[in-house]
Amino acid sequence: MAEPMLLRGVDRAAFAVSFTERLRRAGVAVAINRAETFTRAIDACMPTNTSALYWLARTTLIDDHRDLPVFDKVFAAVFADAVLPVDPNARRSDPPGPPPPPAADEAHARVPADSSEEIDGQGLPWTTLPTVRDEADDAPAEGIVVPERLPSHLDHLADVPFEALSEADLALVGRWLEHAFLRWPTRRTRRQRPSSTGQTLALRRTLAAARQSGYEAVRLVWNEPLVKPRRLVMLCDVSQSMQAHTNAYLHLLRAVTLHADAETFAFSTDLTRLTTALRVKSAEAAIEQANHLLDDRFGGTRIAANIDALLRSHHGTCVRGAVVVIASDGWDSDAPEAMAKAMARLHRRSHRVVWLNPRMAAAGYEPMVGSMAAALPYCDETYPGNTLRSLAEAFTSFVAA
Amino acid sequence: MTGPFADVADVQARFDAVDYLADEGLATALFLAATLGQPLLLEGEPGVGKTAAGKAMAAAMGAPFVRLQCYEGLTAGEALYEWNYQRQLLAIRLGEAHGTHLDEADLFTEEFLLERPILQCVRHPGPVAPVLLIDEIDRADDEFEAMLFEFLGESAVTVPELGTFTAAVAPIVILTSNRSRELHDALKRRCLYHWIEYPTPSHAADIVRRNVPSGSDALIGAATDFVGRVRDLDLDKAPGLAEAIDWVSALVTLGTADLVRADVVRTLGAVVKTPDDLDTVREALDDLGYREAAG
Repeated sequence: MAEPMLLRGVDRAAFAVSFTERLRRAGVAVAINRAETFTRAIDACMPTNTSALYWLARTTLIDDHRDLPVFDKVFAAVFADAVLPVDPNARRSDPPGPPPPPAADEAHARVPADSSEEIDGQGLPWTTLPTVRDEADDAPAEGIVVPERLPSHLDHLADVPFEALSEADLALVGRWLEHAFLRWPTRRTRRQRPSSTGQTLALRRTLAAARQSGYEAVRLVWNEPLVKPRRLVMLCDVSQSMQAHTNAYLHLLRAVTLHADAETFAFSTDLTRLTTALRVKSAEAAIEQANHLLDDRFGGTRIAANIDALLRSHHGTCVRGAVVVIASDGWDSDAPEAMAKAMARLHRRSHRVVWLNPRMAAAGYEPMVGSMAAALPYCDETYPGNTLRSLAEAFTSFVAA
Repeated sequence: MTGPFADVADVQARFDAVDYLADEGLATALFLAATLGQPLLLEGEPGVGKTAAGKAMAAAMGAPFVRLQCYEGLTAGEALYEWNYQRQLLAIRLGEAHGTHLDEADLFTEEFLLERPILQCVRHPGPVAPVLLIDEIDRADDEFEAMLFEFLGESAVTVPELGTFTAAVAPIVILTSNRSRELHDALKRRCLYHWIEYPTPSHAADIVRRNVPSGSDALIGAATDFVGRVRDLDLDKAPGLAEAIDWVSALVTLGTADLVRADVVRTLGAVVKTPDDLDTVREALDDLGYREAAG
């Protein structure tokens, strides 16, 4: 070929690894084997221009189209002088007449900085923040759009914060929640049930069916494992700072106790198990019993100590493989390190950890509280959970996951 | 390492010969899939030609084409292999009638094995590697993904009773996904990846011209331009290239020479497929340059 090959005399493996590392630093999760594939691809293709190299790198290193803008940026930073005129993807992502890309040296320094501006809050994995901001204009930002199952008679209450709801409205909300558990994350049990797509032979049923064909087992009956909904464990903060939301959350706790077979706890300074108290048909009686149990209500908060207490108590096993929902504003009198330790333990033991924090509804919220910041890395999801719509979003998202 | 293609330009030329116009990115991805022997995961909006790319790959290589359409509840029995139970039963009865003794080993032989698409590809004798298209993998269950790992990683299928079948010539595997759900990292790690964009208007016109040779240039230009602009409207389902091709075919069948409003309204059903989208497009027709007066 007349054109000279790119990267002549360059250690291709070293180039591939350092380029991969650059992508990782910019926030693209590149699997460990992809650098090797990239090297093999360069060997197979012998790229003669940057456009060819761009496609080689993109095909072998990226596995999600959402990473493409970052990839383009990193690639442009490395091959800034040549890539833009020939590369169709870069032309697509930039509107016509963009300013020329920054000089290579400047771009090198900027790549990590650029990606960290998306991840705000002092380097925390604070990726849920954008959806919280979207709450105002009510447009799900991206990804899977979760259908919200809100009955029409509750629609006018959907965006009203819980603290502004009347007692009667709260009861309505509670009743809606009772029906919101139609679909839920499931786990496989050791029991079996007959199914046409099953994988194990149902011996007894096969033999029973064989009776009709002269004991010749012509038709085989199959079993598949039975799935059960995962247990829900809900912890609710009833301290002073959460006072406005406590009543709504008690209704929520009762709904999940009755209909999702959940274990429910409330805490401020001490942990109180509410499951038995709330398992009463009458809403008023249940809430009254719960309030009676909560003698430390509206006191200070010790979140870390209470999570720890739950894990160490004999109820600690109920967390295993469960969906754990913590409703709290994150104000904790324990040290952030204790919080991180407790949350790490909780996260390891459970299936998912979801944090409902009413303060996140405020625009521009950032997890400034030390203990909230310490807890965030261990939360699979965070929601404001201060309105019915937000709760619906939170609960339907478990189903989508 | 030698593959069926000499270089990326060769891929483009040979795809061109089977009427599939691949841009440089897709051609590179297909070239690497064929040369490195790694599966290729194609993603993109519906109707950008993911499935067609798989078919064109087989046609360009002159290779046998095997397609596995995924759906919810797809099991190993339908994708890998199955034992022909009824035939085994019959063999036992025959054996009894003839007084011959049958071992278990006699019943689990290749004679009783029903090959399904994946095993079929693995046992393909060659010399040309078959092209396996695993279409819409996102529709299958998570378990099915996990089941593919052995095949995708080593081009092998293990039948416990018979042992492991390893492909003599590694099949070229193309997976497509519509992103209705996130695929597992372990699956993505084993695959090359290419995201197919909507083609540029001129490229789209070339593709439509190739697929509907009887259409005039003016009609095809106007139609692809229209579809491109409809795509920017707020629609439930944006029309892809497949819709553009269908539409131009419809217009050609109706004998349309140049596109006017009446023709657009008449054949809109080929482009947009939901009542809401139809309303949206009809309302926007004026802005799109097809005014009432013109038709």
